[in-house]
Amino acid sequence: MDIQTTGLSRRFGKVTALHSVDLSVPGGMYGLLGANGAGKTTLMRILAGVLPPGGGEVRVGGHDLTTGAGRTAVQRRLGYLPQDLGLYPDLTPREFLDYVGLLKGLDDTRARRQQVDELLELVALSEVAGRRMKGFSGGMRRRVGIAQALLGDPALIVVDEPTAGLDPEERVRFRSLLAGLAGHRTVLLSTHIVEDVAQTCQHAAVMAGGRVVYTGTVPDLVRMGEGATWEVVTTTGAPPPVGVVVSAISRTDGTHYRVISSTAPGAHAVPAAPSLEDGYVALMQRAPAQ
Amino acid sequence: MSELLAVGRYEFRMQVRKRSLWLAMLLLAAVIALTQGDRGPRYTEAGAPAREVMAGWALLFGIVVPIGFGMVLADRLVRDRRLGTTALLESLPVGPRVLLAGKYLGGLASSALPGLLAMLVAGGYETVHRGDPLMLAWAVLAFGLIMLPGLAFVAGFALVSPLVISAPLFRVLFVGYWFWGNMLPPEFLPSLSGTLLSPIGDYPVSWLIGETALYAGVPGWLSFLRPAPSGVSVLVSVVLLVLVGLLPLVVAGTVFSRQRRTA
Repeated sequence: MDIQTTGLSRRFGKVTALHSVDLSVPGGMYGLLGANGAGKTTLMRILAGVLPPGGGEVRVGGHDLTTGAGRTAVQRRLGYLPQDLGLYPDLTPREFLDYVGLLKGLDDTRARRQQVDELLELVALSEVAGRRMKGFSGGMRRRVGIAQALLGDPALIVVDEPTAGLDPEERVRFRSLLAGLAGHRTVLLSTHIVEDVAQTCQHAAVMAGGRVVYTGTVPDLVRMGEGATWEVVTTTGAPPPVGVVVSAISRTDGTHYRVISSTAPGAHAVPAAPSLEDGYVALMQRAPAQ
Repeated sequence: MSELLAVGRYEFRMQVRKRSLWLAMLLLAAVIALTQGDRGPRYTEAGAPAREVMAGWALLFGIVVPIGFGMVLADRLVRDRRLGTTALLESLPVGPRVLLAGKYLGGLASSALPGLLAMLVAGGYETVHRGDPLMLAWAVLAFGLIMLPGLAFVAGFALVSPLVISAPLFRVLFVGYWFWGNMLPPEFLPSLSGTLLSPIGDYPVSWLIGETALYAGVPGWLSFLRPAPSGVSVLVSVVLLVLVGLLPLVVAGTVFSRQRRTA
Protein backbone atom coordinates (compact mmCIF):
# COMPACT_ATOMS: atom_id res chain seq x y z
CA MET A 1 0.00 0.00 0.00
CA ASP A 2 1.93 3.01 -1.22
CA ILE A 3 1.86 6.46 0.37
CA GLN A 4 2.19 9.66 -1.61
CA THR A 5 2.10 13.15 -0.14
CA THR A 6 2.49 16.30 -2.18
CA GLY A 7 2.77 19.72 -0.60
CA LEU A 8 1.21 18.38 2.59
CA SER A 9 0.90 21.02 5.27
CA ARG A 10 -0.73 21.28 8.64
CA ARG A 11 -0.99 24.10 11.16
CA PHE A 12 -2.08 24.19 14.79
CA GLY A 13 -3.03 27.78 15.45
CA LYS A 14 0.07 29.82 14.72
CA VAL A 15 2.38 26.81 14.75
CA THR A 16 3.11 25.15 11.43
CA ALA A 17 3.70 21.47 12.13
CA LEU A 18 4.16 20.40 8.50
CA HIS A 19 5.56 22.55 5.70
CA SER A 20 4.77 21.29 2.22
CA VAL A 21 5.84 17.71 2.79
CA ASP A 22 6.54 15.62 -0.31
CA LEU A 23 7.01 11.96 0.50
CA SER A 24 6.75 8.73 -1.42
CA VAL A 25 6.68 5.45 0.48
CA PRO A 26 6.57 2.47 -1.89
CA GLY A 27 6.10 -0.44 0.54
CA GLY A 28 8.09 -2.60 2.90
CA MET A 29 9.63 -1.27 6.07
CA TYR A 30 10.16 2.49 5.96
CA GLY A 31 11.75 4.57 8.69
CA LEU A 32 10.83 8.12 9.56
CA LEU A 33 13.51 9.81 11.64
CA GLY A 34 13.54 13.17 13.30
CA ALA A 35 13.97 14.95 16.58
CA ASN A 36 11.03 15.48 18.93
CA GLY A 37 8.84 18.18 17.44
CA ALA A 38 10.00 17.51 13.87
CA GLY A 39 6.45 16.82 12.70
CA LYS A 40 6.58 13.01 12.61
CA THR A 41 3.59 12.45 14.86
CA THR A 42 1.47 14.97 12.95
CA LEU A 43 2.32 13.16 9.71
CA MET A 44 1.52 9.78 11.30
CA ARG A 45 -1.81 11.06 12.60
CA ILE A 46 -2.74 12.37 9.17
CA LEU A 47 -1.83 9.06 7.55
CA ALA A 48 -3.91 7.21 10.15
CA GLY A 49 -6.91 9.40 9.37
CA VAL A 50 -6.97 10.83 12.88
CA LEU A 51 -6.19 14.36 11.66
CA PRO A 52 -7.38 15.87 8.40
CA PRO A 53 -4.61 17.44 6.32
CA GLY A 54 -4.41 21.22 6.33
CA GLY A 55 -3.38 21.51 2.70
CA GLY A 56 -1.78 19.59 -0.13
CA GLU A 57 -2.49 16.04 -1.26
CA VAL A 58 -2.23 12.72 0.56
CA ARG A 59 -2.95 9.44 -1.13
CA VAL A 60 -2.67 6.07 0.56
CA GLY A 61 -3.23 3.03 -1.61
CA GLY A 62 -4.87 5.35 -4.11
CA HIS A 63 -7.36 6.73 -1.55
CA ASP A 64 -7.53 10.47 -1.07
CA LEU A 65 -7.12 11.24 2.64
CA THR A 66 -8.50 14.73 2.25
CA THR A 67 -11.97 13.17 1.95
CA GLY A 68 -13.94 11.37 4.65
CA ALA A 69 -14.59 8.41 2.34
CA GLY A 70 -10.88 8.13 1.58
CA ARG A 71 -9.97 8.19 5.26
CA THR A 72 -12.50 5.48 6.08
CA ALA A 73 -11.28 3.32 3.18
CA VAL A 74 -7.69 3.57 4.43
CA GLN A 75 -8.71 2.95 8.04
CA ARG A 76 -10.27 -0.34 6.99
CA ARG A 77 -6.83 -1.56 5.91
CA LEU A 78 -4.79 0.19 8.57
CA GLY A 79 -3.03 -0.91 11.71
CA TYR A 80 -2.06 2.04 13.86
CA LEU A 81 0.01 2.13 17.00
CA PRO A 82 -0.13 5.69 18.32
CA GLN A 83 2.55 7.25 20.44
CA ASP A 84 1.64 6.68 24.12
CA LEU A 85 -1.21 4.28 23.41
CA GLY A 86 -3.46 3.94 26.43
CA LEU A 87 -5.29 0.75 27.31
CA TYR A 88 -8.47 0.11 29.25
CA PRO A 89 -7.33 -1.15 32.65
CA ASP A 90 -10.63 -2.98 33.24
CA LEU A 91 -10.18 -5.20 30.19
CA THR A 92 -7.92 -8.17 29.57
CA PRO A 93 -5.68 -8.19 26.47
CA ARG A 94 -7.98 -10.76 24.90
CA GLU A 95 -11.03 -8.57 25.47
CA PHE A 96 -9.25 -5.44 24.28
CA LEU A 97 -8.19 -7.12 21.04
CA ASP A 98 -11.67 -8.51 20.56
CA TYR A 99 -13.11 -5.02 21.02
CA VAL A 100 -10.70 -3.44 18.53
CA GLY A 101 -11.33 -6.33 16.13
CA LEU A 102 -15.07 -5.70 16.25
CA LEU A 103 -14.51 -2.00 15.58
CA LYS A 104 -12.28 -2.94 12.65
CA GLY A 105 -15.22 -4.84 11.21
CA LEU A 106 -14.07 -8.39 11.98
CA ASP A 107 -17.60 -9.70 12.42
CA ASP A 108 -16.95 -13.44 12.17
CA THR A 109 -16.71 -14.35 15.86
CA ARG A 110 -14.78 -17.58 15.43
CA ALA A 111 -12.24 -16.12 12.98
CA ARG A 112 -11.78 -13.03 15.15
CA ARG A 113 -11.17 -15.06 18.30
CA GLN A 114 -8.72 -17.27 16.49
CA GLN A 115 -6.84 -14.25 15.19
CA VAL A 116 -6.78 -12.69 18.65
CA ASP A 117 -5.28 -15.85 20.12
CA GLU A 118 -2.68 -16.05 17.35
CA LEU A 119 -1.65 -12.44 17.86
CA LEU A 120 -1.42 -12.89 21.61
CA GLU A 121 0.87 -15.82 20.94
CA LEU A 122 2.92 -13.76 18.48
CA VAL A 123 3.53 -11.00 21.00
CA ALA A 124 4.11 -13.50 23.82
CA LEU A 125 1.11 -12.48 25.90
CA SER A 126 -0.85 -15.73 25.84
CA GLU A 127 -0.10 -16.43 29.47
CA VAL A 128 -1.62 -13.15 30.62
CA ALA A 129 -4.40 -13.07 28.03
CA GLY A 130 -7.06 -13.38 30.72
CA ARG A 131 -5.54 -10.92 33.17
CA ARG A 132 -6.76 -7.35 33.38
CA MET A 133 -4.28 -4.89 31.91
CA LYS A 134 -4.13 -2.72 35.00
CA GLY A 135 -0.53 -2.99 36.15
CA PHE A 136 0.94 -4.16 32.85
CA SER A 137 4.53 -3.01 32.25
CA GLY A 138 5.44 -0.61 29.45
CA GLY A 139 6.71 -3.50 27.35
CA MET A 140 3.55 -5.53 27.81
CA ARG A 141 1.43 -2.52 26.91
CA ARG A 142 3.44 -1.97 23.76
CA ARG A 143 2.97 -5.59 22.81
CA VAL A 144 -0.77 -5.30 23.26
CA GLY A 145 -0.53 -2.18 21.10
CA ILE A 146 1.27 -3.92 18.26
CA ALA A 147 -1.13 -6.88 18.47
CA GLN A 148 -4.14 -4.61 18.03
CA ALA A 149 -2.41 -2.90 15.11
CA LEU A 150 -2.04 -6.28 13.39
CA LEU A 151 -5.69 -7.24 13.74
CA GLY A 152 -7.40 -7.73 10.40
CA ASP A 153 -4.12 -8.33 8.57
CA PRO A 154 -3.70 -4.65 7.59
CA ALA A 155 -1.94 -3.65 4.40
CA LEU A 156 -0.51 -0.55 6.07
CA ILE A 157 0.94 -0.42 9.56
CA VAL A 158 1.80 2.94 11.07
CA VAL A 159 3.78 2.81 14.31
CA ASP A 160 4.71 5.98 16.13
CA GLU A 161 7.69 5.84 18.51
CA PRO A 162 7.01 2.20 19.36
CA THR A 163 10.20 1.57 21.31
CA ALA A 164 10.30 4.74 23.41
CA GLY A 165 10.57 3.82 27.06
CA LEU A 166 11.31 0.14 26.47
CA ASP A 167 14.26 -1.60 28.04
CA PRO A 168 16.98 -2.84 25.63
CA GLU A 169 15.76 -6.43 25.58
CA GLU A 170 12.17 -5.39 24.87
CA ARG A 171 13.40 -2.99 22.19
CA VAL A 172 15.31 -5.70 20.35
CA ARG A 173 12.34 -8.04 20.56
CA PHE A 174 10.01 -5.34 19.32
CA ARG A 175 12.27 -4.42 16.40
CA SER A 176 12.49 -8.04 15.30
CA LEU A 177 8.74 -8.32 15.47
CA LEU A 178 8.22 -5.22 13.35
CA ALA A 179 10.82 -6.26 10.78
CA GLY A 180 9.10 -9.61 10.41
CA LEU A 181 5.81 -7.93 9.54
CA ALA A 182 6.99 -5.97 6.55
CA GLY A 183 6.93 -8.84 4.04
CA HIS A 184 3.84 -7.98 2.01
CA ARG A 185 2.89 -4.83 3.88
CA THR A 186 3.93 -1.24 4.22
CA VAL A 187 5.25 -0.57 7.70
CA LEU A 188 5.93 3.06 8.50
CA LEU A 189 8.09 3.33 11.58
CA SER A 190 8.40 6.77 13.12
CA THR A 191 11.10 7.18 15.72
CA HIS A 192 13.76 9.46 17.08
CA ILE A 193 15.87 6.42 17.95
CA VAL A 194 18.24 5.99 15.02
CA GLU A 195 19.19 2.46 15.98
CA ASP A 196 15.61 1.28 15.41
CA VAL A 197 15.79 2.35 11.77
CA ALA A 198 19.35 1.04 11.34
CA GLN A 199 18.27 -2.41 12.43
CA THR A 200 15.01 -2.73 10.49
CA CYS A 201 14.67 -0.42 7.48
CA GLN A 202 16.08 -0.29 3.96
CA HIS A 203 14.54 3.10 3.22
CA ALA A 204 14.02 6.13 5.38
CA ALA A 205 13.05 9.77 5.45
CA VAL A 206 14.32 12.38 7.86
CA MET A 207 12.19 15.26 9.10
CA ALA A 208 13.29 18.49 10.72
CA GLY A 209 11.18 21.51 11.58
CA GLY A 210 8.12 20.12 9.80
CA ARG A 211 9.99 19.48 6.54
CA VAL A 212 11.35 16.34 4.93
CA VAL A 213 15.09 16.92 4.63
CA TYR A 214 16.07 13.48 3.34
CA THR A 215 14.49 10.55 1.56
CA GLY A 216 16.45 7.58 0.29
CA THR A 217 18.07 4.36 1.35
CA VAL A 218 19.49 3.82 4.80
CA PRO A 219 23.02 3.07 3.39
CA ASP A 220 22.91 6.42 1.56
CA LEU A 221 21.94 8.12 4.81
CA VAL A 222 24.92 6.44 6.44
CA ARG A 223 27.14 7.82 3.67
CA MET A 224 26.09 11.34 4.65
CA GLY A 225 28.60 10.89 7.46
CA GLU A 226 31.52 9.99 5.20
CA GLY A 227 34.33 12.52 5.48
CA ALA A 228 32.60 14.11 8.45
CA THR A 229 33.03 11.44 11.12
CA TRP A 230 36.08 11.63 13.35
CA GLU A 231 37.56 10.07 16.42
CA VAL A 232 39.54 12.25 18.77
CA VAL A 233 41.30 11.20 21.98
CA THR A 234 41.92 13.89 24.56
CA THR A 235 43.71 13.52 27.85
CA THR A 236 42.30 16.72 29.34
CA GLY A 237 38.73 15.47 29.24
CA ALA A 238 37.58 18.57 27.39
CA PRO A 239 35.64 17.91 24.18
CA PRO A 240 37.04 19.03 20.82
CA PRO A 241 36.35 22.71 20.12
CA VAL A 242 34.58 22.11 16.79
CA GLY A 243 31.90 19.68 15.60
CA VAL A 244 29.08 17.78 17.26
CA VAL A 245 30.07 15.12 19.76
CA VAL A 246 28.15 11.93 19.06
CA SER A 247 29.72 9.86 21.81
CA ALA A 248 32.34 10.13 24.53
CA ILE A 249 33.93 7.11 26.15
CA SER A 250 36.43 7.43 28.97
CA ARG A 251 39.33 4.94 28.75
CA THR A 252 42.73 4.63 30.40
CA ASP A 253 44.49 6.54 27.61
CA GLY A 254 41.99 9.43 27.68
CA THR A 255 38.50 10.27 26.53
CA HIS A 256 37.55 8.96 23.08
CA TYR A 257 35.23 11.36 21.30
CA ARG A 258 33.28 10.60 18.17
CA VAL A 259 32.71 13.89 16.42
CA ILE A 260 30.78 15.01 13.36
CA SER A 261 32.51 17.91 11.68
CA SER A 262 33.12 19.02 8.10
CA THR A 263 36.74 19.74 9.03
CA ALA A 264 39.13 17.78 11.26
CA PRO A 265 38.25 18.72 14.85
CA GLY A 266 41.90 18.67 15.98
CA ALA A 267 45.42 17.85 14.92
CA HIS A 268 45.13 14.24 16.09
CA ALA A 269 41.62 13.59 14.79
CA VAL A 270 41.31 10.32 12.85
CA PRO A 271 38.62 9.75 10.18
CA ALA A 272 36.16 6.99 11.15
CA ALA A 273 33.66 4.88 9.25
CA PRO A 274 30.22 6.42 9.82
CA SER A 275 27.26 4.68 11.36
CA LEU A 276 23.65 5.63 10.65
CA GLU A 277 23.67 7.85 13.69
CA ASP A 278 26.72 9.67 12.32
CA GLY A 279 25.06 10.07 8.92
CA TYR A 280 21.91 11.36 10.57
CA VAL A 281 23.79 13.91 12.68
CA ALA A 282 25.85 15.00 9.64
CA LEU A 283 22.64 15.48 7.68
CA MET A 284 21.06 17.51 10.47
CA GLN A 285 24.21 19.66 10.54
CA ARG A 286 23.83 20.40 6.87
CA ALA A 287 20.04 20.84 6.90
CA PRO A 288 19.04 24.48 6.53
CA ALA A 289 18.14 26.18 9.81
CA GLN A 290 14.35 26.33 10.31
CA MET B 1 -24.80 -1.90 13.73
CA SER B 2 -22.25 -4.47 14.89
CA GLU B 3 -19.86 -1.64 15.79
CA LEU B 4 -22.57 0.04 17.87
CA LEU B 5 -23.26 -3.21 19.70
CA ALA B 6 -19.52 -3.76 20.21
CA VAL B 7 -19.01 -0.34 21.78
CA GLY B 8 -22.12 -0.79 23.92
CA ARG B 9 -21.09 -4.27 25.00
CA TYR B 10 -17.56 -3.36 26.00
CA GLU B 11 -18.60 -0.08 27.60
CA PHE B 12 -21.07 -2.09 29.65
CA ARG B 13 -18.42 -4.63 30.58
CA MET B 14 -15.88 -2.02 31.65
CA GLN B 15 -18.37 0.01 33.63
CA VAL B 16 -19.97 -2.92 35.37
CA ARG B 17 -16.55 -3.98 36.66
CA LYS B 18 -16.06 -0.68 38.45
CA ARG B 19 -16.37 -1.28 42.15
CA SER B 20 -17.29 2.38 42.72
CA LEU B 21 -20.43 1.93 40.62
CA TRP B 22 -21.82 -0.70 42.93
CA LEU B 23 -20.51 0.80 46.15
CA ALA B 24 -21.81 4.32 45.47
CA MET B 25 -25.26 3.39 44.27
CA LEU B 26 -26.06 0.48 46.55
CA LEU B 27 -24.81 2.43 49.53
CA LEU B 28 -27.06 5.35 48.64
CA ALA B 29 -30.00 2.98 48.08
CA ALA B 30 -29.39 1.21 51.40
CA VAL B 31 -29.14 4.47 53.33
CA ILE B 32 -32.37 5.87 51.88
CA ALA B 33 -34.18 2.54 52.38
CA LEU B 34 -33.14 2.29 56.01
CA THR B 35 -33.81 5.91 56.88
CA GLN B 36 -37.17 6.30 55.17
CA GLY B 37 -39.72 7.87 57.46
CA ASP B 38 -43.17 6.56 58.21
CA ARG B 39 -44.33 8.01 54.89
CA GLY B 40 -41.94 5.66 53.10
CA PRO B 41 -43.10 2.70 50.98
CA ARG B 42 -42.25 0.22 53.73
CA TYR B 43 -45.14 1.69 55.69
CA THR B 44 -47.69 1.68 52.87
CA GLU B 45 -50.88 0.31 54.36
CA ALA B 46 -51.41 -3.45 54.38
CA GLY B 47 -53.35 -4.68 51.36
CA ALA B 48 -52.17 -1.82 49.15
CA PRO B 49 -51.79 -2.96 45.53
CA ALA B 50 -48.32 -4.03 44.40
CA ARG B 51 -48.38 -1.23 41.83
CA GLU B 52 -48.66 1.39 44.54
CA VAL B 53 -46.07 -0.16 46.86
CA MET B 54 -43.39 -0.59 44.22
CA ALA B 55 -44.04 2.86 42.70
CA GLY B 56 -43.32 4.20 46.18
CA TRP B 57 -40.04 2.30 46.31
CA ALA B 58 -39.03 3.55 42.86
CA LEU B 59 -39.70 7.12 43.96
CA LEU B 60 -37.72 6.58 47.16
CA PHE B 61 -34.69 5.16 45.32
CA GLY B 62 -35.13 7.87 42.68
CA ILE B 63 -34.25 10.49 45.29
CA VAL B 64 -30.63 9.34 45.53
CA VAL B 65 -29.76 6.55 43.08
CA PRO B 66 -29.60 8.86 40.02
CA ILE B 67 -27.10 11.03 41.90
CA GLY B 68 -24.69 8.09 42.10
CA PHE B 69 -25.58 7.27 38.50
CA GLY B 70 -24.63 10.76 37.30
CA MET B 71 -21.43 10.67 39.34
CA VAL B 72 -20.14 7.42 37.86
CA LEU B 73 -21.11 8.25 34.29
CA ALA B 74 -19.42 11.65 34.38
CA ASP B 75 -16.00 10.31 33.41
CA ARG B 76 -16.97 7.89 30.65
CA LEU B 77 -16.10 10.13 27.71
CA VAL B 78 -13.32 12.18 29.24
CA ARG B 79 -11.54 9.06 30.42
CA ASP B 80 -10.70 8.06 26.82
CA ARG B 81 -8.60 11.23 26.70
CA ARG B 82 -7.17 10.56 30.14
CA LEU B 83 -6.27 6.95 29.33
CA GLY B 84 -4.85 7.81 25.89
CA THR B 85 -7.21 5.65 23.84
CA THR B 86 -8.66 8.50 21.78
CA ALA B 87 -6.10 8.38 18.96
CA LEU B 88 -6.61 4.64 18.52
CA LEU B 89 -10.41 4.92 18.50
CA GLU B 90 -10.23 7.74 15.96
CA SER B 91 -8.01 5.64 13.69
CA LEU B 92 -10.66 2.91 13.45
CA PRO B 93 -13.30 2.94 10.72
CA VAL B 94 -16.06 3.88 13.15
CA GLY B 95 -17.69 7.31 13.23
CA PRO B 96 -17.85 9.42 16.38
CA ARG B 97 -21.65 9.15 16.49
CA VAL B 98 -21.45 5.37 16.71
CA LEU B 99 -18.87 5.60 19.49
CA LEU B 100 -21.00 8.09 21.39
CA ALA B 101 -24.19 6.09 20.97
CA GLY B 102 -22.46 2.88 22.04
CA LYS B 103 -20.99 4.53 25.10
CA TYR B 104 -24.39 5.96 25.98
CA LEU B 105 -26.17 2.62 25.66
CA GLY B 106 -23.46 0.64 27.46
CA GLY B 107 -23.06 3.24 30.19
CA LEU B 108 -26.80 3.53 30.71
CA ALA B 109 -27.32 -0.23 30.86
CA SER B 110 -24.46 -0.89 33.27
CA SER B 111 -25.13 2.06 35.54
CA ALA B 112 -28.84 1.28 35.72
CA LEU B 113 -28.11 -2.23 36.98
CA PRO B 114 -27.61 -1.27 40.65
CA GLY B 115 -30.91 0.62 40.52
CA LEU B 116 -32.66 -2.46 39.13
CA LEU B 117 -30.98 -4.60 41.77
CA ALA B 118 -32.17 -2.25 44.51
CA MET B 119 -35.72 -2.50 43.16
CA LEU B 120 -35.51 -6.30 43.00
CA VAL B 121 -34.30 -6.45 46.61
CA ALA B 122 -37.16 -4.17 47.66
CA GLY B 123 -39.57 -6.27 45.59
CA GLY B 124 -38.28 -9.45 47.19
CA TYR B 125 -38.65 -7.94 50.64
CA GLU B 126 -42.21 -6.83 49.92
CA THR B 127 -43.10 -10.21 48.39
CA VAL B 128 -42.10 -11.93 51.63
CA HIS B 129 -43.45 -9.21 53.90
CA ARG B 130 -46.83 -8.83 52.21
CA GLY B 131 -47.15 -12.27 50.64
CA ASP B 132 -47.94 -10.76 47.23
CA PRO B 133 -46.06 -12.42 44.35
CA LEU B 134 -46.89 -9.48 42.07
CA MET B 135 -44.45 -7.31 43.99
CA LEU B 136 -41.43 -8.61 42.05
CA ALA B 137 -43.12 -8.09 38.68
CA TRP B 138 -44.07 -4.56 39.70
CA ALA B 139 -40.53 -3.94 40.88
CA VAL B 140 -39.33 -4.49 37.31
CA LEU B 141 -42.21 -2.52 35.79
CA ALA B 142 -41.78 0.40 38.17
CA PHE B 143 -38.07 0.43 37.45
CA GLY B 144 -38.72 0.58 33.70
CA LEU B 145 -41.45 3.20 33.87
CA ILE B 146 -40.30 5.41 36.73
CA MET B 147 -36.52 5.12 37.09
CA LEU B 148 -35.19 4.21 33.64
CA PRO B 149 -36.46 7.25 31.66
CA GLY B 150 -34.95 9.55 34.28
CA LEU B 151 -31.68 7.65 34.14
CA ALA B 152 -31.67 7.91 30.33
CA PHE B 153 -32.18 11.65 30.72
CA VAL B 154 -29.34 11.95 33.21
CA ALA B 155 -27.02 9.71 31.15
CA GLY B 156 -26.94 12.02 28.13
CA PHE B 157 -25.99 15.04 30.21
CA ALA B 158 -23.60 13.14 32.48
CA LEU B 159 -21.66 11.81 29.50
CA VAL B 160 -21.39 15.01 27.53
CA SER B 161 -21.30 17.85 30.10
CA PRO B 162 -17.84 16.95 31.49
CA LEU B 163 -16.43 17.58 28.00
CA VAL B 164 -17.40 21.22 28.43
CA ILE B 165 -16.98 21.69 32.16
CA SER B 166 -14.75 19.44 34.25
CA ALA B 167 -16.13 16.18 35.66
CA PRO B 168 -15.75 17.32 39.32
CA LEU B 169 -17.57 20.59 38.58
CA PHE B 170 -20.30 18.69 36.75
CA ARG B 171 -20.76 16.44 39.78
CA VAL B 172 -21.20 19.38 42.12
CA LEU B 173 -23.62 21.14 39.78
CA PHE B 174 -25.50 17.92 39.15
CA VAL B 175 -26.29 17.37 42.83
CA GLY B 176 -27.61 20.93 43.03
CA TYR B 177 -29.65 20.44 39.89
CA TRP B 178 -31.09 17.16 41.15
CA PHE B 179 -32.63 18.70 44.22
CA TRP B 180 -33.64 21.91 42.43
CA GLY B 181 -35.17 20.12 39.44
CA ASN B 182 -36.99 17.40 41.35
CA MET B 183 -37.69 18.19 44.95
CA LEU B 184 -38.00 21.95 45.26
CA PRO B 185 -41.65 23.02 45.77
CA PRO B 186 -42.66 24.85 42.55
CA GLU B 187 -44.27 27.65 44.51
CA PHE B 188 -41.00 28.30 46.35
CA LEU B 189 -38.75 29.08 43.37
CA PRO B 190 -38.97 28.65 39.60
CA SER B 191 -38.02 25.02 39.14
CA LEU B 192 -38.44 22.02 36.87
CA SER B 193 -39.81 19.98 39.76
CA GLY B 194 -43.35 18.81 39.13
CA THR B 195 -42.99 19.19 35.34
CA LEU B 196 -42.95 16.54 32.63
CA LEU B 197 -39.15 17.01 32.63
CA SER B 198 -38.74 15.96 36.23
CA PRO B 199 -36.51 12.85 35.91
CA ILE B 200 -37.34 11.54 39.37
CA GLY B 201 -40.49 10.01 37.88
CA ASP B 202 -43.04 12.24 39.56
CA TYR B 203 -45.62 11.78 36.77
CA PRO B 204 -45.53 7.97 36.48
CA VAL B 205 -45.58 7.57 40.27
CA SER B 206 -48.50 10.00 40.64
CA TRP B 207 -50.39 8.14 37.91
CA LEU B 208 -49.72 4.71 39.45
CA ILE B 209 -50.68 5.67 43.00
CA GLY B 210 -53.63 7.82 41.93
CA GLU B 211 -52.55 10.99 43.75
CA THR B 212 -49.81 13.59 43.49
CA ALA B 213 -46.58 11.95 44.59
CA LEU B 214 -44.44 15.08 44.85
CA TYR B 215 -45.47 18.05 42.72
CA ALA B 216 -46.67 16.57 39.41
CA GLY B 217 -49.19 18.94 37.90
CA VAL B 218 -48.91 21.44 40.76
CA PRO B 219 -49.18 25.00 39.32
CA GLY B 220 -45.87 26.78 38.88
CA TRP B 221 -43.22 27.97 36.44
CA LEU B 222 -43.57 26.63 32.85
CA SER B 223 -47.27 25.79 33.31
CA PHE B 224 -47.49 24.13 29.87
CA LEU B 225 -45.20 21.40 31.22
CA ARG B 226 -47.51 20.73 34.16
CA PRO B 227 -50.57 18.84 32.90
CA ALA B 228 -52.59 16.70 35.30
CA PRO B 229 -51.03 13.24 35.77
CA SER B 230 -52.62 10.71 33.40
CA GLY B 231 -51.61 7.85 31.14
CA VAL B 232 -51.03 10.29 28.31
CA SER B 233 -48.98 12.74 30.37
CA VAL B 234 -46.88 9.83 31.65
CA LEU B 235 -46.20 8.75 28.08
CA VAL B 236 -45.32 12.31 27.09
CA SER B 237 -43.03 12.65 30.12
CA VAL B 238 -41.20 9.40 29.33
CA VAL B 239 -40.73 10.32 25.66
CA LEU B 240 -39.62 13.86 26.54
CA LEU B 241 -37.11 12.66 29.12
CA VAL B 242 -35.54 10.20 26.69
CA LEU B 243 -35.45 12.68 23.81
CA VAL B 244 -34.09 15.57 25.86
CA GLY B 245 -31.45 13.22 27.27
CA LEU B 246 -30.38 12.41 23.71
CA LEU B 247 -29.96 16.09 22.81
CA PRO B 248 -26.47 16.49 24.31
CA LEU B 249 -25.39 13.37 22.41
CA VAL B 250 -26.71 14.74 19.12
CA VAL B 251 -24.87 18.02 19.69
CA ALA B 252 -21.65 16.27 20.75
CA GLY B 253 -21.87 13.86 17.80
CA THR B 254 -22.23 16.76 15.38
CA VAL B 255 -19.32 18.63 16.95
CA PHE B 256 -17.08 15.55 16.93
CA SER B 257 -17.91 14.77 13.31
CA ARG B 258 -17.11 18.34 12.30
CA GLN B 259 -13.87 18.24 14.29
CA ARG B 260 -12.79 15.09 12.49
CA ARG B 261 -13.33 16.78 9.16
CA THR B 262 -11.75 20.11 9.97
CA ALA B 263 -9.78 20.03 13.24
